[in-house]
Amino acid sequence: MANKSGNAYALTVLCPILRGVPSDSPAGNSGQTYTTLLRNVLQTLHVNEESPMAKVPNTYLCRFWVLSDVPYQGKPAFLEHLKSDYLVFSSNFHGELEPYLAGMWKALQEDVLAILWHCVGHEAVRDAKSFIEYVKKCQVTTTFFFNGSTDEPLVEQLKNLYLKQEFSRFAFENQGKSASELQEAFRGFVQRTQPTNLDGPTWAPGAYHLDRVEGASK
Amino acid sequence: MTTRVDLDDVQGNVVKAYARYGLVVARYVFFHVDVPVAGRKFVADIVPLVTLGTPWKDLSKTPRVGTNIGFTYEGLRHLDTPEVTLHGFPEAFSMGMKARRQIIGDTGPSLYHRWDPVWNNQDDNKQHVHIMVTIDGKEEKDLDSRYQEIQRILAANPGVSQLVGHRGAGGDNLPYQPAAALLSTKDNLGYPGGKEHFGYSDGITTTFFEGCGEDPNLVIGGGKPTGGDPRTPAGWAPLAAGEFILGHPDEAFEYPEAPGPPLFSRNGTFIAYRKLHQNVGSFHSYLDEEGARFPDGKEALAAKFAGRWRNGAPLVSFPTEESANRFVAELAPLQVKVWTQSATPQEKTRFAELSLQLVAFDYRDDTSGARCPFGSHMRRTNPRSALQFGKTNAFAVPGALSNRRRILRRGLPYGQVDDPTRDDGDHGVIMLIVNADLSRQFEFVQQQWMNYGNDFGLANDPDPLLGNHGTNEGRLGGGRMTIEGDVVTNKPPYFCNHMPTFVETRGGDYFFVPSLTCLRTIALGIIDPT
Amino acid sequence: MSNIAGKAYAMNAVTPMRWYTAWWNRLFFWIAHKRPATTAGLVTLSLIHYARWVIVMPHQFPKLSSDQPQEDVKYAYMIFFSNFNGSWNQYVDSFSSAIPGGLNLFWFGSIKYPKSVPMLPFHRYITSNQIWTDYYYNAYPMASSNDVKSAKKVKDSLLAFIGDSQKAAPEEFMQKYNRLLIDLQHDISQMGPNPVVSLSASAVERNLRKEGVERKELSD
Repeated sequence: MANKSGNAYALTVLCPILRGVPSDSPAGNSGQTYTTLLRNVLQTLHVNEESPMAKVPNTYLCRFWVLSDVPYQGKPAFLEHLKSDYLVFSSNFHGELEPYLAGMWKALQEDVLAILWHCVGHEAVRDAKSFIEYVKKCQVTTTFFFNGSTDEPLVEQLKNLYLKQEFSRFAFENQGKSASELQEAFRGFVQRTQPTNLDGPTWAPGAYHLDRVEGASK
Repeated sequence: MTTRVDLDDVQGNVVKAYARYGLVVARYVFFHVDVPVAGRKFVADIVPLVTLGTPWKDLSKTPRVGTNIGFTYEGLRHLDTPEVTLHGFPEAFSMGMKARRQIIGDTGPSLYHRWDPVWNNQDDNKQHVHIMVTIDGKEEKDLDSRYQEIQRILAANPGVSQLVGHRGAGGDNLPYQPAAALLSTKDNLGYPGGKEHFGYSDGITTTFFEGCGEDPNLVIGGGKPTGGDPRTPAGWAPLAAGEFILGHPDEAFEYPEAPGPPLFSRNGTFIAYRKLHQNVGSFHSYLDEEGARFPDGKEALAAKFAGRWRNGAPLVSFPTEESANRFVAELAPLQVKVWTQSATPQEKTRFAELSLQLVAFDYRDDTSGARCPFGSHMRRTNPRSALQFGKTNAFAVPGALSNRRRILRRGLPYGQVDDPTRDDGDHGVIMLIVNADLSRQFEFVQQQWMNYGNDFGLANDPDPLLGNHGTNEGRLGGGRMTIEGDVVTNKPPYFCNHMPTFVETRGGDYFFVPSLTCLRTIALGIIDPT
Repeated sequence: MSNIAGKAYAMNAVTPMRWYTAWWNRLFFWIAHKRPATTAGLVTLSLIHYARWVIVMPHQFPKLSSDQPQEDVKYAYMIFFSNFNGSWNQYVDSFSSAIPGGLNLFWFGSIKYPKSVPMLPFHRYITSNQIWTDYYYNAYPMASSNDVKSAKKVKDSLLAFIGDSQKAAPEEFMQKYNRLLIDLQHDISQMGPNPVVSLSASAVERNLRKEGVERKELSD
């Protein structure tokens, strides 16, 4: 299935954006089109660990952009236009589509509705089930998915990264110790870092600071 | 691919490492143009002194002095270079090196407020340094004689001023930056490259490109890898001239981007001038302390940082101190004989064989880094075909990830070490880096390979010698390096921690080094991009 | 709007192709999928987290209501998404030099595609068809693709070591530990923030950062 590579899923969604100017615009934005308003929402979403997407389980990397028109290559190529703009959402995540979208709805219902408000047919989205149906209608099949990374659950990737960083420090700091000192120190390391505990100390999703990546997740 | 380069139109410092021809002392002089007309006349007066790239075939008759000239972006603007031409320069050049500090890591200990005053004399945040004139000579008296000629030209052109403010042993306000090779007789492999202040032999590899006019044998080790046996000519091919000289095809099979009109940039290039201070005290003290713990000893540790033993032998071919010493013990006396022209034919042949071993290698037999660490300076700056990581069928050519990242190194050490336990003496290296594209070549290497490690699988680790390890607080820095162990002998890796910053930037900028043709058009004020 | 989230760069490119060429393109992608050797170069480059090519046939643009007009474009459109390490400007040379054949295989059908070598026309073609990302999220901005892959190896090796050395006496423990270190010697460099690949991106990052959050970096 072209959308998948192992357990990693490549979701590509094109949501048609409503054309024209909304009659019930947010205050101070009258006269702006749905597309302009949507762009504004996207560009002011919080980033890094404050990102709403950090709350959606198993999201590796994802992005939003607006497809306003198709690119003209110059003569002798045809000049043609799309009749609608599209919200493009591309997500790389672990697992199956429906659980992923259900998880997104559960964590971000309000944000999802705030974004979909700009899109055609959004009135049909009321709950997880209708949200999933909506997304599937907007989904386009990935033709070729190249996975240059791993396909593990996100919590495992984050725990792995935490362990890499911590073990790196351990190795450097414990050089030259005697065998029993080392063994003792390593026991302490295992107790502190809890390698098999995915809920234990780990990197928080989206965190972008040396002093903010560590700490218990959730 | 065959390229014809008009070497008599290219400036000499681009195609020649003057030190190899015995020009082992230098002065770097900087000027500011107040009045464009005067600036152009100044350039016109300098042109007859400019040394060209024409090969010096008769080594007994090489000139005693070389002179070259370059311009910053503001310098070109002050000479009334047309706007259209100026806009054709890439952003890195027009911004200047100081403004690029975040990209190239001139932050923390290398931040500009610690630079020599000559680089900080700016009223309006624009480059104050406009023109660089470099003088290379055999002896001080040769330098001085040329310097006096330039002083006379300066006096005749009052709209141009010489900038002072270089820091040296004599104070903060020197009128030029002096430099001199460190030549010693003890295992002096490096002559004509000599040593640098940490004790490493320097200037061993010559980057070799098509049409450079140098000895064709220098392609071995100096060109790009072909995948063939690196100990033989079959292992190497010349790099494309366009990697180093504008107006010629480069490694991507096209002309490098250059400002117009074509005659303006053809045969010109860019030089990054950098004054690099060396924290000699920190280096020796770190080497002593860590070297006492490192299982193979202090010299071996120094070798692991650089990729070569301090006597110049490459780690990958000479993995032990004993083998490196044996090699140099045979090579060094032969070198002296060859240079003093007292070698027998047999000795000359043996010298050639041994010299080849200095450069004719790659990392194919060291894919685990057991001999030469992935993070060592030499393996970072010139990976040869190592970025294939052993997968010889993956890329279109073996050097795909390194052929476009090569530079030519010019320049000399400066100052001397009076007290090797101190950092604050006047000692370092004046580095001149020649390349056709500052951001693709110099800045890329500086950012991705010197101050970062992802391309080598080393996450954020910087280069041990040149990396920015943060500010030295009680000599405890933030630098670290993993020195690989050996799976064959079960030797575990060794970890170097708390490395302080050993090399700090103390000044510099980006210069356009025009062809002779271009210099004449600048002097006449006749550049017309219409 | 930045294409950068930590160490990752989000490239989006849309290129048209004739609908019948699109069928050939899809066949080549299918072959690439079946034949891993096709992407050996990409794998060795190791710069990419995840990348995808999506061919949208003219009739495949989603239509969700009768009010929404039917698209009537003649071309099929290929949308390319990549998450890779480094900026496009910095690494276009690496892609073009290392895997020119692979790039051509994927883009041959795109209208006016100029081949991947020489580099400048290829760079211009992709950049002129590049669409900037409005919002980019990266679950691990401090980790490159190499770091993520390496981290898995560290975890797996650590767990195996822990299991294997549980009952060991100190000397034996040390021996096994040293072997672990040799095994992981290229996997234990520390991670940190991305180098500043562009001053405009770094300015955007500063502006987006919440008040009071200081970035631990070597800057003025």
